[in-house]
Amino acid sequence: MNTHLIKLEELLPSIQAQLLTGSAQADVDGCYISDLLSDVLARAQPGVLWVTIQTHRNVISVAATKDIAAVLFTCDRRPEPGIIAEAEDQGIALLRTSLTTFEAAGRLWESGLRE
Amino acid sequence: MSSAPATERTPGASDARKVSVAQILVYELRVRDAMTQPAITAAPGDTLRSIQHLMKAQRISGVPITDGGALLGIVSIEDIIWALDKGYIDDPAEQHMARSVITLRDYFTLVRAVAEFDRHEFGRFPVLDSNDHLVGVITRGDITTCLMQHLERRAEEALAHEAELRAARTADRTAHRVVVRAPVRTGDYDNAGKVSQRIRQLLRDRGIDPEIRRRAAVVAYEAETNIIIHSLGGEILALIDPEKIVIEAVDTGPGIENIDQAMQEGWSTAGRLPRELGFGAGMGLPNIKRCSDKLEITSDNEHGTRLHAEVLIKKAGTTS
Repeated sequence: MNTHLIKLEELLPSIQAQLLTGSAQADVDGCYISDLLSDVLARAQPGVLWVTIQTHRNVISVAATKDIAAVLFTCDRRPEPGIIAEAEDQGIALLRTSLTTFEAAGRLWESGLRE
Repeated sequence: MSSAPATERTPGASDARKVSVAQILVYELRVRDAMTQPAITAAPGDTLRSIQHLMKAQRISGVPITDGGALLGIVSIEDIIWALDKGYIDDPAEQHMARSVITLRDYFTLVRAVAEFDRHEFGRFPVLDSNDHLVGVITRGDITTCLMQHLERRAEEALAHEAELRAARTADRTAHRVVVRAPVRTGDYDNAGKVSQRIRQLLRDRGIDPEIRRRAAVVAYEAETNIIIHSLGGEILALIDPEKIVIEAVDTGPGIENIDQAMQEGWSTAGRLPRELGFGAGMGLPNIKRCSDKLEITSDNEHGTRLHAEVLIKKAGTTS
Protein backbone atom coordinates (compact mmCIF):
# COMPACT_ATOMS: atom_id res chain seq x y z
CA MET A 1 0.00 0.00 0.00
CA ASN A 2 1.21 3.43 -0.92
CA THR A 3 1.32 5.33 2.35
CA HIS A 4 1.15 8.88 1.17
CA LEU A 5 0.89 11.03 4.29
CA ILE A 6 -1.02 14.30 4.18
CA LYS A 7 -1.11 16.79 7.02
CA LEU A 8 -4.51 17.95 8.22
CA GLU A 9 -3.50 21.57 7.66
CA GLU A 10 -3.22 20.81 3.94
CA LEU A 11 -6.83 19.59 3.91
CA LEU A 12 -8.55 22.07 6.23
CA PRO A 13 -8.95 25.02 3.81
CA SER A 14 -10.41 23.02 0.92
CA ILE A 15 -13.07 21.35 3.05
CA GLN A 16 -13.72 24.57 4.99
CA ALA A 17 -13.15 22.67 8.20
CA GLN A 18 -12.58 23.82 11.73
CA LEU A 19 -10.21 21.84 13.93
CA LEU A 20 -12.03 21.02 17.20
CA THR A 21 -9.17 19.19 18.87
CA GLY A 22 -5.83 17.70 17.91
CA SER A 23 -2.97 19.08 15.86
CA ALA A 24 -3.18 20.47 12.32
CA GLN A 25 0.23 18.87 11.89
CA ALA A 26 -1.25 15.38 12.34
CA ASP A 27 -0.90 13.08 9.34
CA VAL A 28 -3.59 11.01 7.66
CA ASP A 29 -2.84 8.44 5.00
CA GLY A 30 -6.28 7.77 3.63
CA CYS A 31 -9.97 8.25 4.13
CA TYR A 32 -12.98 6.16 5.05
CA ILE A 33 -16.58 7.28 4.86
CA SER A 34 -19.37 5.60 6.77
CA ASP A 35 -22.05 6.29 9.33
CA LEU A 36 -22.26 2.70 10.48
CA LEU A 37 -19.91 1.99 13.35
CA SER A 38 -19.49 -1.71 12.68
CA ASP A 39 -18.73 -0.98 9.06
CA VAL A 40 -15.89 1.29 10.17
CA LEU A 41 -14.69 -1.40 12.56
CA ALA A 42 -14.72 -3.87 9.70
CA ARG A 43 -13.13 -1.85 6.91
CA ALA A 44 -11.36 1.32 7.99
CA GLN A 45 -7.57 1.23 7.99
CA PRO A 46 -5.59 2.65 10.90
CA GLY A 47 -4.29 6.19 10.39
CA VAL A 48 -7.12 7.38 8.15
CA LEU A 49 -9.46 10.34 8.24
CA TRP A 50 -12.97 9.10 8.97
CA VAL A 51 -15.83 11.17 7.56
CA THR A 52 -19.22 10.78 9.23
CA ILE A 53 -22.37 12.56 10.37
CA GLN A 54 -22.43 10.58 13.62
CA THR A 55 -21.37 12.73 16.56
CA HIS A 56 -22.15 10.37 19.42
CA ARG A 57 -19.29 9.48 21.71
CA ASN A 58 -19.19 5.95 20.31
CA VAL A 59 -17.50 7.50 17.29
CA ILE A 60 -14.49 8.18 19.53
CA SER A 61 -14.52 4.61 20.88
CA VAL A 62 -14.61 3.19 17.38
CA ALA A 63 -11.90 5.55 16.13
CA ALA A 64 -9.70 4.59 19.10
CA THR A 65 -10.39 0.92 18.51
CA LYS A 66 -9.12 1.17 14.94
CA ASP A 67 -6.34 3.73 15.61
CA ILE A 68 -8.07 6.18 13.30
CA ALA A 69 -6.12 9.44 13.22
CA ALA A 70 -8.85 12.00 12.65
CA VAL A 71 -12.63 12.30 12.36
CA LEU A 72 -14.44 14.84 10.18
CA PHE A 73 -18.05 15.65 11.10
CA THR A 74 -19.98 16.88 8.06
CA CYS A 75 -23.34 18.60 7.48
CA ASP A 76 -22.62 21.11 10.23
CA ARG A 77 -22.88 18.51 12.96
CA ARG A 78 -21.06 19.29 16.17
CA PRO A 79 -20.09 16.88 18.95
CA GLU A 80 -20.63 17.83 22.59
CA PRO A 81 -17.68 19.30 24.52
CA GLY A 82 -17.32 16.08 26.54
CA ILE A 83 -16.77 14.13 23.34
CA ILE A 84 -14.14 16.58 22.16
CA ALA A 85 -12.34 16.17 25.49
CA GLU A 86 -12.48 12.41 25.13
CA ALA A 87 -10.97 12.57 21.66
CA GLU A 88 -8.23 14.79 23.00
CA ASP A 89 -7.44 12.17 25.66
CA GLN A 90 -7.29 9.48 23.00
CA GLY A 91 -5.11 11.56 20.67
CA ILE A 92 -7.71 11.70 17.93
CA ALA A 93 -8.09 14.91 15.91
CA LEU A 94 -11.66 16.15 15.39
CA LEU A 95 -12.76 18.39 12.52
CA ARG A 96 -16.11 19.77 11.52
CA THR A 97 -17.47 21.32 8.33
CA SER A 98 -20.83 22.51 7.06
CA LEU A 99 -20.23 20.73 3.74
CA THR A 100 -22.15 17.55 3.03
CA THR A 101 -20.29 14.26 3.14
CA PHE A 102 -20.35 14.11 -0.67
CA GLU A 103 -18.94 17.62 -1.07
CA ALA A 104 -16.27 16.97 1.54
CA ALA A 105 -15.31 13.68 -0.09
CA GLY A 106 -14.90 15.34 -3.49
CA ARG A 107 -12.68 18.05 -2.11
CA LEU A 108 -10.59 15.60 -0.08
CA TRP A 109 -10.01 13.64 -3.26
CA GLU A 110 -8.98 16.77 -5.12
CA SER A 111 -6.61 17.68 -2.29
CA GLY A 112 -4.72 14.47 -2.93
CA LEU A 113 -6.27 12.10 -0.38
CA ARG A 114 -6.85 9.12 -2.64
CA GLU A 115 -6.38 5.99 -0.54
CA MET B 1 -8.89 -7.59 71.72
CA SER B 2 -9.93 -9.92 68.99
CA SER B 3 -9.39 -9.34 65.32
CA ALA B 4 -11.64 -10.11 62.40
CA PRO B 5 -10.82 -13.03 60.14
CA ALA B 6 -8.49 -11.59 57.52
CA THR B 7 -10.40 -13.12 54.64
CA GLU B 8 -13.79 -11.89 55.71
CA ARG B 9 -14.16 -9.36 52.94
CA THR B 10 -11.82 -7.81 50.45
CA PRO B 11 -13.72 -5.20 48.49
CA GLY B 12 -12.47 -4.14 45.08
CA ALA B 13 -10.36 -1.02 45.07
CA SER B 14 -12.89 0.77 42.91
CA ASP B 15 -15.59 0.22 45.55
CA ALA B 16 -13.53 2.21 47.99
CA ARG B 17 -13.06 5.31 45.87
CA LYS B 18 -16.05 7.32 46.96
CA VAL B 19 -16.08 6.82 50.73
CA SER B 20 -13.08 6.71 53.00
CA VAL B 21 -11.78 3.36 54.13
CA ALA B 22 -12.55 4.25 57.75
CA GLN B 23 -16.18 4.93 56.81
CA ILE B 24 -16.42 1.54 55.17
CA LEU B 25 -14.77 -0.19 58.09
CA VAL B 26 -17.29 1.07 60.65
CA TYR B 27 -20.00 -0.55 58.58
CA GLU B 28 -18.07 -3.74 57.90
CA LEU B 29 -16.61 -4.44 61.28
CA ARG B 30 -18.73 -5.85 64.05
CA VAL B 31 -18.74 -5.38 67.79
CA ARG B 32 -17.26 -8.88 68.11
CA ASP B 33 -14.23 -7.73 66.09
CA ALA B 34 -13.45 -4.89 68.49
CA MET B 35 -14.58 -6.08 71.94
CA THR B 36 -12.32 -7.27 74.72
CA GLN B 37 -12.92 -10.92 75.35
CA PRO B 38 -13.43 -12.79 77.47
CA ALA B 39 -14.97 -10.17 79.71
CA ILE B 40 -13.53 -9.79 83.20
CA THR B 41 -16.50 -10.61 85.40
CA ALA B 42 -17.42 -11.15 89.01
CA ALA B 43 -20.01 -13.41 90.66
CA PRO B 44 -23.12 -12.01 92.39
CA GLY B 45 -21.79 -13.13 95.76
CA ASP B 46 -18.41 -11.36 95.39
CA THR B 47 -17.98 -8.36 97.68
CA LEU B 48 -17.76 -4.85 96.28
CA ARG B 49 -14.30 -4.65 97.87
CA SER B 50 -13.05 -7.63 95.86
CA ILE B 51 -14.50 -5.99 92.75
CA GLN B 52 -12.65 -2.79 93.63
CA HIS B 53 -9.40 -4.79 93.79
CA LEU B 54 -10.24 -6.44 90.48
CA MET B 55 -10.78 -3.03 88.84
CA LYS B 56 -7.50 -1.76 90.18
CA ALA B 57 -5.55 -4.86 89.11
CA GLN B 58 -7.12 -5.01 85.61
CA ARG B 59 -7.30 -1.21 85.14
CA ILE B 60 -10.96 -1.32 84.24
CA SER B 61 -13.83 0.87 85.37
CA GLY B 62 -16.75 -1.52 85.24
CA VAL B 63 -17.31 -5.21 85.97
CA PRO B 64 -20.27 -7.25 84.70
CA ILE B 65 -21.78 -9.59 87.27
CA THR B 66 -22.59 -12.96 85.76
CA ASP B 67 -23.90 -16.33 86.75
CA GLY B 68 -23.13 -19.20 84.41
CA GLY B 69 -22.63 -16.86 81.46
CA ALA B 70 -25.87 -14.96 82.02
CA LEU B 71 -25.53 -11.24 82.68
CA LEU B 72 -27.19 -10.20 85.97
CA GLY B 73 -25.93 -6.65 86.39
CA ILE B 74 -22.91 -4.39 86.35
CA VAL B 75 -20.80 -2.67 88.99
CA SER B 76 -19.14 0.57 87.91
CA ILE B 77 -16.41 2.55 89.61
CA GLU B 78 -19.08 5.05 90.70
CA ASP B 79 -20.90 2.27 92.56
CA ILE B 80 -17.62 1.51 94.37
CA ILE B 81 -17.16 5.17 95.33
CA TRP B 82 -20.72 5.26 96.70
CA ALA B 83 -20.08 2.00 98.64
CA LEU B 84 -16.93 3.42 100.21
CA ASP B 85 -18.75 6.64 101.05
CA LYS B 86 -21.79 4.93 102.57
CA GLY B 87 -19.81 2.14 104.21
CA TYR B 88 -21.20 -0.97 102.47
CA ILE B 89 -18.06 -1.91 100.55
CA ASP B 90 -18.06 -5.41 102.06
CA ASP B 91 -21.60 -6.21 100.85
CA PRO B 92 -22.04 -8.71 98.00
CA ALA B 93 -22.32 -7.19 94.53
CA GLU B 94 -25.87 -8.45 93.92
CA GLN B 95 -27.21 -6.12 96.60
CA HIS B 96 -26.01 -2.94 94.91
CA MET B 97 -25.25 -3.64 91.26
CA ALA B 98 -27.17 -1.88 88.50
CA ARG B 99 -29.61 -4.47 87.18
CA SER B 100 -31.06 -2.81 84.12
CA VAL B 101 -28.01 -2.90 81.95
CA ILE B 102 -27.89 -1.64 78.40
CA THR B 103 -26.02 -4.15 76.29
CA LEU B 104 -24.81 -4.45 72.72
CA ARG B 105 -25.00 -7.57 70.59
CA ASP B 106 -21.81 -9.04 69.19
CA TYR B 107 -23.19 -8.86 65.64
CA PHE B 108 -23.92 -5.10 65.74
CA THR B 109 -21.85 -3.00 63.36
CA LEU B 110 -19.35 -0.63 64.87
CA VAL B 111 -21.28 2.32 63.45
CA ARG B 112 -24.22 1.24 65.61
CA ALA B 113 -21.94 0.79 68.61
CA VAL B 114 -20.61 4.31 68.18
CA ALA B 115 -24.19 5.60 68.05
CA GLU B 116 -24.98 3.78 71.31
CA PHE B 117 -21.95 5.35 72.99
CA ASP B 118 -23.21 8.75 71.83
CA ARG B 119 -26.73 8.09 73.06
CA HIS B 120 -25.84 6.77 76.53
CA GLU B 121 -23.02 8.21 78.52
CA PHE B 122 -21.51 4.88 79.52
CA GLY B 123 -17.82 4.18 79.22
CA ARG B 124 -18.44 0.54 78.28
CA PHE B 125 -21.12 -1.88 77.19
CA PRO B 126 -21.34 -5.57 78.04
CA VAL B 127 -21.65 -7.55 74.81
CA LEU B 128 -24.10 -10.45 74.47
CA ASP B 129 -24.25 -13.05 71.76
CA SER B 130 -27.53 -14.17 70.20
CA ASN B 131 -28.01 -16.69 73.06
CA ASP B 132 -27.86 -13.88 75.63
CA HIS B 133 -24.48 -15.03 76.90
CA LEU B 134 -21.97 -12.41 77.93
CA VAL B 135 -19.11 -12.69 75.45
CA GLY B 136 -17.14 -9.47 75.99
CA VAL B 137 -17.01 -5.82 76.91
CA ILE B 138 -16.52 -2.96 74.50
CA THR B 139 -15.24 0.58 75.10
CA ARG B 140 -14.70 3.52 72.74
CA GLY B 141 -10.99 2.80 73.05
CA ASP B 142 -11.55 -0.75 71.77
CA ILE B 143 -13.32 0.66 68.69
CA THR B 144 -10.53 3.13 67.98
CA THR B 145 -7.84 0.46 68.36
CA CYS B 146 -9.74 -1.95 66.13
CA LEU B 147 -10.20 0.67 63.40
CA MET B 148 -6.54 1.64 63.55
CA GLN B 149 -5.45 -1.97 63.19
CA HIS B 150 -7.72 -2.59 60.23
CA LEU B 151 -6.75 0.66 58.54
CA GLU B 152 -3.14 -0.33 58.90
CA ARG B 153 -3.84 -3.75 57.44
CA ARG B 154 -5.73 -2.22 54.50
CA ALA B 155 -2.89 0.19 53.87
CA GLU B 156 -0.37 -2.66 53.93
CA GLU B 157 -2.52 -4.69 51.55
CA ALA B 158 -2.82 -1.74 49.18
CA LEU B 159 0.93 -1.15 49.23
CA ALA B 160 1.63 -4.85 48.68
CA HIS B 161 -0.85 -4.92 45.80
CA GLU B 162 0.78 -1.88 44.21
CA ALA B 163 4.24 -3.39 44.60
CA GLU B 164 2.97 -6.63 43.06
CA LEU B 165 1.55 -4.79 40.06
CA ARG B 166 4.75 -2.81 39.62
CA ALA B 167 6.86 -5.95 39.85
CA ALA B 168 4.64 -7.74 37.35
CA ARG B 169 4.86 -4.85 34.94
CA THR B 170 8.59 -4.45 35.09
CA ALA B 171 9.85 -8.00 35.67
CA ASP B 172 8.22 -10.25 33.16
CA ARG B 173 5.18 -8.69 31.67
CA THR B 174 4.57 -11.41 29.12
CA ALA B 175 4.37 -14.14 31.72
CA HIS B 176 1.76 -12.26 33.68
CA ARG B 177 -1.87 -13.06 33.09
CA VAL B 178 -4.23 -10.12 33.13
CA VAL B 179 -7.92 -10.36 33.77
CA VAL B 180 -10.49 -7.69 33.14
CA ARG B 181 -14.02 -8.25 34.29
CA ALA B 182 -16.66 -5.57 34.01
CA PRO B 183 -20.44 -5.33 33.96
CA VAL B 184 -22.22 -3.93 30.90
CA ARG B 185 -25.68 -2.44 31.24
CA THR B 186 -28.44 -2.66 28.69
CA GLY B 187 -29.18 0.54 26.76
CA ASP B 188 -26.15 2.30 28.21
CA TYR B 189 -25.02 3.83 24.92
CA ASP B 190 -23.19 6.62 26.69
CA ASN B 191 -20.77 4.16 28.22
CA ALA B 192 -20.42 1.94 25.18
CA GLY B 193 -16.77 1.23 24.62
CA LYS B 194 -15.62 1.88 28.19
CA VAL B 195 -14.77 -1.75 28.88
CA SER B 196 -13.11 -2.32 25.52
CA GLN B 197 -11.13 0.85 26.07
CA ARG B 198 -9.67 -0.67 29.22
CA ILE B 199 -8.81 -3.85 27.37
CA ARG B 200 -7.27 -1.84 24.54
CA GLN B 201 -5.15 0.16 26.96
CA LEU B 202 -3.92 -3.04 28.62
CA LEU B 203 -2.93 -4.49 25.27
CA ARG B 204 -1.14 -1.27 24.39
CA ASP B 205 0.67 -1.27 27.75
CA ARG B 206 1.83 -4.81 27.14
CA GLY B 207 3.22 -3.90 23.73
CA ILE B 208 0.94 -6.26 21.80
CA ASP B 209 1.36 -5.99 18.03
CA PRO B 210 -0.96 -3.19 16.77
CA GLU B 211 -2.76 -5.43 14.26
CA ILE B 212 -3.51 -8.04 16.95
CA ARG B 213 -4.48 -5.29 19.37
CA ARG B 214 -6.94 -3.78 16.89
CA ARG B 215 -8.51 -7.16 16.18
CA ALA B 216 -8.97 -7.87 19.88
CA ALA B 217 -10.31 -4.34 20.36
CA VAL B 218 -12.91 -4.84 17.63
CA VAL B 219 -14.01 -8.12 19.22
CA ALA B 220 -14.30 -6.48 22.64
CA TYR B 221 -16.11 -3.41 21.33
CA GLU B 222 -18.62 -5.34 19.25
CA ALA B 223 -19.26 -7.80 22.08
CA GLU B 224 -19.74 -4.92 24.50
CA THR B 225 -22.15 -3.02 22.26
CA ASN B 226 -24.07 -6.24 21.54
CA ILE B 227 -24.80 -6.56 25.26
CA ILE B 228 -25.91 -2.91 25.38
CA ILE B 229 -28.11 -3.11 22.30
CA HIS B 230 -29.57 -6.57 22.45
CA SER B 231 -29.45 -8.02 25.93
CA LEU B 232 -30.90 -7.42 29.37
CA GLY B 233 -27.39 -6.76 30.64
CA GLY B 234 -24.29 -8.82 31.18
CA GLU B 235 -20.57 -8.64 31.54
CA ILE B 236 -17.34 -8.70 29.60
CA LEU B 237 -14.43 -10.83 30.72
CA ALA B 238 -11.01 -10.57 29.14
CA LEU B 239 -8.01 -12.78 29.79
CA ILE B 240 -4.68 -11.78 28.38
CA ASP B 241 -1.85 -14.28 28.56
CA PRO B 242 1.29 -14.70 26.48
CA GLU B 243 -0.41 -16.90 23.86
CA LYS B 244 -3.79 -15.35 23.39
CA ILE B 245 -6.41 -12.80 24.24
CA VAL B 246 -9.68 -14.35 25.34
CA ILE B 247 -12.80 -12.23 25.34
CA GLU B 248 -16.00 -13.52 26.81
CA ALA B 249 -19.33 -11.75 26.73
CA VAL B 250 -22.03 -13.21 28.89
CA ASP B 251 -25.52 -11.80 29.16
CA THR B 252 -28.69 -12.76 30.97
CA GLY B 253 -30.93 -12.96 27.93
CA PRO B 254 -33.14 -12.93 26.00
CA GLY B 255 -30.84 -15.00 23.78
CA ILE B 256 -30.26 -15.04 20.03
CA GLU B 257 -33.13 -16.66 18.20
CA ASN B 258 -31.15 -17.81 15.21
CA ILE B 259 -27.37 -17.68 15.46
CA ASP B 260 -26.78 -18.60 11.80
CA GLN B 261 -28.95 -15.69 10.76
CA ALA B 262 -27.18 -13.35 13.20
CA MET B 263 -23.84 -14.33 11.70
CA GLN B 264 -24.95 -13.05 8.29
CA GLU B 265 -23.72 -9.61 7.39
CA GLY B 266 -26.49 -7.03 7.28
CA TRP B 267 -28.96 -8.97 9.39
CA SER B 268 -29.92 -7.01 12.50
CA THR B 269 -32.65 -6.88 15.10
CA ALA B 270 -31.55 -3.53 16.52
CA GLY B 271 -34.23 -0.92 17.22
CA ARG B 272 -34.48 2.66 16.04
CA LEU B 273 -32.35 4.41 18.67
CA PRO B 274 -29.26 2.25 18.25
CA ARG B 275 -29.60 2.52 14.47
CA GLU B 276 -29.69 6.30 14.68
CA LEU B 277 -26.50 6.17 16.68
CA GLY B 278 -24.83 4.16 13.95
CA PHE B 279 -25.23 0.73 15.51
CA GLY B 280 -27.31 -2.10 14.16
CA ALA B 281 -25.53 -2.44 10.83
CA GLY B 282 -25.83 -6.18 11.18
CA MET B 283 -22.07 -6.48 11.19
CA GLY B 284 -21.32 -7.03 14.86
CA LEU B 285 -21.04 -10.80 14.95
CA PRO B 286 -19.49 -11.02 11.45
CA ASN B 287 -16.88 -8.50 12.62
CA ILE B 288 -16.18 -10.55 15.74
CA LYS B 289 -15.84 -13.67 13.62
CA ARG B 290 -13.49 -11.99 11.15
CA CYS B 291 -11.28 -10.60 13.91
CA SER B 292 -11.03 -13.69 16.12
CA ASP B 293 -9.13 -16.94 15.61
CA LYS B 294 -11.70 -18.96 17.49
CA LEU B 295 -15.32 -18.15 18.20
CA GLU B 296 -17.99 -20.03 20.10
CA ILE B 297 -21.48 -18.72 20.71
CA THR B 298 -24.09 -20.48 22.77
CA SER B 299 -27.47 -18.93 23.27
CA ASP B 300 -30.88 -19.87 24.51
CA ASN B 301 -33.93 -18.22 26.00
CA GLU B 302 -33.29 -19.46 29.48
CA HIS B 303 -29.63 -18.65 30.02
CA GLY B 304 -28.98 -15.83 27.58
CA THR B 305 -25.95 -15.66 25.36
CA ARG B 306 -22.34 -16.61 25.99
CA LEU B 307 -19.76 -15.55 23.46
CA HIS B 308 -16.20 -16.86 23.70
CA ALA B 309 -13.67 -15.41 21.28
CA GLU B 310 -9.92 -15.90 21.12
CA VAL B 311 -7.34 -13.80 19.33
CA LEU B 312 -3.96 -15.51 19.16
CA ILE B 313 -0.85 -13.52 19.90
CA LYS B 314 1.82 -14.53 17.42
CA LYS B 315 5.22 -15.31 18.84
CA ALA B 316 7.90 -12.78 17.95
CA GLY B 317 9.69 -13.76 14.77
CA THR B 318 6.84 -15.69 13.21
CA THR B 319 5.06 -14.18 10.26
CA SER B 320 1.49 -14.40 9.19
